Amino acid sequence: MLALTARGWRQGAALIVAAGLLAATGCSGGDGGNSIADLDSAEADGGATDQQTMEADPGHEGEDVELEFWTFVDAHTDFMMARAEEFNEANSDYNIVLNASTADYEEMHDRLLIALQSGTGAPDIVDIEIQRFATFLRGEVPLHPLNDIVDNHRDQLVEERLAPYQSDGVEYGIDYHLGTWVMYYNNAILEEAGVDVDSIVTWDDYIEAGKQVVENTDAMMTSVETTDRFSVIGPMLQNGGGTYDENGEMILDSPENVEALQLISDMVHEHEIAVVSEGGMHHETAYYEAFNSGNYASVWMPQWYVTRFKDFMPETEGDILIRPMPEFEPDGFISTMGGGTGTAITTQIDEGKLDAAKQFLEFAKLTYDSQVALWTELGFDPFREDVYDDPALTEPDQWFGGEQVMTNLRDMFDRLAPEYTGPRYPEIILQLRDIVAYEVIQEGGSPQEALERAAQEIRSMD
Amino acid sequence: MATLTTARADRAGARYKTPFFHRPWVVAMVFLLPFLVLFGVFRVYAVGYAVVLSFQDIEGIGLTEWAGLGNYRRLLTDSTFFTALRNTTLYTAGTLLVLIPVPFILAAVLQSKLVARQAMFRSALFLPVLTSLVVVGVVFSLLLTTNGLVNSFLGLFGVPAQGWLETRSLAIPAMILMATWRWTGINIIYFTTGLSNIPRELYESASVDGAGALRKFWHLSVPLSKPIILFVTVLTIFGGFQLFVEPLILWGTGGGPGQGGLSVVVHLYRTAFTSFQLGYASAIGVVLAVIIMALSLVTLKLFGFFKKEE
Repeated sequence: MLALTARGWRQGAALIVAAGLLAATGCSGGDGGNSIADLDSAEADGGATDQQTMEADPGHEGEDVELEFWTFVDAHTDFMMARAEEFNEANSDYNIVLNASTADYEEMHDRLLIALQSGTGAPDIVDIEIQRFATFLRGEVPLHPLNDIVDNHRDQLVEERLAPYQSDGVEYGIDYHLGTWVMYYNNAILEEAGVDVDSIVTWDDYIEAGKQVVENTDAMMTSVETTDRFSVIGPMLQNGGGTYDENGEMILDSPENVEALQLISDMVHEHEIAVVSEGGMHHETAYYEAFNSGNYASVWMPQWYVTRFKDFMPETEGDILIRPMPEFEPDGFISTMGGGTGTAITTQIDEGKLDAAKQFLEFAKLTYDSQVALWTELGFDPFREDVYDDPALTEPDQWFGGEQVMTNLRDMFDRLAPEYTGPRYPEIILQLRDIVAYEVIQEGGSPQEALERAAQEIRSMD
Repeated sequence: MATLTTARADRAGARYKTPFFHRPWVVAMVFLLPFLVLFGVFRVYAVGYAVVLSFQDIEGIGLTEWAGLGNYRRLLTDSTFFTALRNTTLYTAGTLLVLIPVPFILAAVLQSKLVARQAMFRSALFLPVLTSLVVVGVVFSLLLTTNGLVNSFLGLFGVPAQGWLETRSLAIPAMILMATWRWTGINIIYFTTGLSNIPRELYESASVDGAGALRKFWHLSVPLSKPIILFVTVLTIFGGFQLFVEPLILWGTGGGPGQGGLSVVVHLYRTAFTSFQLGYASAIGVVLAVIIMALSLVTLKLFGFFKKEE
């Protein structure tokens, strides 16, 4: 009587059960799998998979060497392409033909992992984000050591920036920036509140200034992320804590971390000068709108966040002043490093191309001119100290109060807390952004207990 | 004459065999082969291999050891897995509560004479299914902000503004809201198909017996749509337990506020790719498959699927 007879739909249902069972064991990403915009990485703004190949220029001397490069940031492709052209002009041995592919954050890292695990299909050069880098340093590291090219410039480099990409003293990646952690103040709001930005030296000063802001203006002093890590990990690192110490010990529940997290929690729950950031994180459209409308008087984020003001918060032009983080103790650290992406050479590269790839990577990431280009082309703070005297970096920036932003940054370098990573770094970051930040900031949980629970969870993985 | 021809053909058939490529089973195989090869390699082999992997400990490249039941034992004490399982179950239950009755009623209304321009409404309700999930994610993350449209709407009824995307307990309702908007249309299509197969005469005789619209709906439409309701229920259970893209586009890494949006498949994915513990991730996948199968069997049992036909 019905279109589906009892037997018919029984068979149909059985097939569905079977198909569902099979599908359940795989990750069926569906139509979102290839195009989920990167909402995670600090630097990436997502984008579809894109491929660009350089034309081999017969005018250049040297042997043509085709190199495959994967990244998840369009701007990195442009940067590396530009460096390859400069390299070919300057170098007579090799003529680099860069074949660059950009995919979104998750997709690129997942593909890379599979290619390296299966032994085939990996690129020659690849960008690996700091949160994922540690995954590639477990077991047999599928990346080539880069000590020789780093050693050529080591005396000029901010040594701390190399740590996240090292394993057993071997260098495996070279970053795009230092990621110096700073405080961005909206000076228009602070002036309205009667606060002089330069009078804020310690966190206590910051809290006092915050109270004045809350009392005299409609704004809050700052906002704290509950679904991302930056707000909590910045002060933790600055206080000498973080995820791992220099000996590779996991220190998630260290007293330094507890103290830093307690400070942030107090700002929200005791002093009531800070609130949960609109949208839950500092990379949300809703947050940009709120900051742009003058809801917050300050925010602590790494240097690369400068581009977000120019791109997404136009109303703040001229009002933002960049200062060090307030100090925990006199002469203590006033900054640290945040985010990062290490460029690496995989072991799947042809032996014959390895020398060319290393020479190119050194040219593109470590030389004086390339480090100047990190600032002029990408807006990132270079990690080579001598470039900070270059005219390109000493120029005042009208957007940021007409100050010499990069010169001021350099003054923080001798009080910069290093960041060490370790094998469970990816999982620790997930614990911080998923659980710890939320429970402490949103729900008013105890920082000590939240960090101890998270550390316990991490330890139980091994 | 006709008899003669048939007799000749029979004799010919006895002497000459049907050409190889004309044999029914060969033809069937040729047409089925592409599917069978793909199904074999990408489903059967992949799933079989995942089961093998679930007994291994893989921690990094070249670090593979047999772990016996170690991964399954670890699963029993993995609080994140149970958080994810709880979230996923709540989400599935929520979608079942919304996505079966609402589309069914809408389908019945669209089927009735109450609605003019039925085709237009059906198409309009179906459109969300065609929208890219990424676009849906972006639109919903704007709709669900504190100053967003959802809060403005609720404000009309005096409900205070909610932090949909920032509050742990609201993560699942936010995703159910998104699922409702997205999947109502396709379920309406399923139910409409089921309803249109119910013979008109039954309704007519019910009317003659004095049954009103509600009684006809409850005593005719609902029981006679049982097969299609079962079909949609099982599909919704599959869809619910495979929840993956929605949390990922709403919250970046897919955890959501305080892991309130973390689903089992997102946990599986993170374990496999962020932690690179392929063995443990496979164990999660196998357990999830067993859960889905068990739930489906229970559903089939509850709907009387295993009863002998009378």
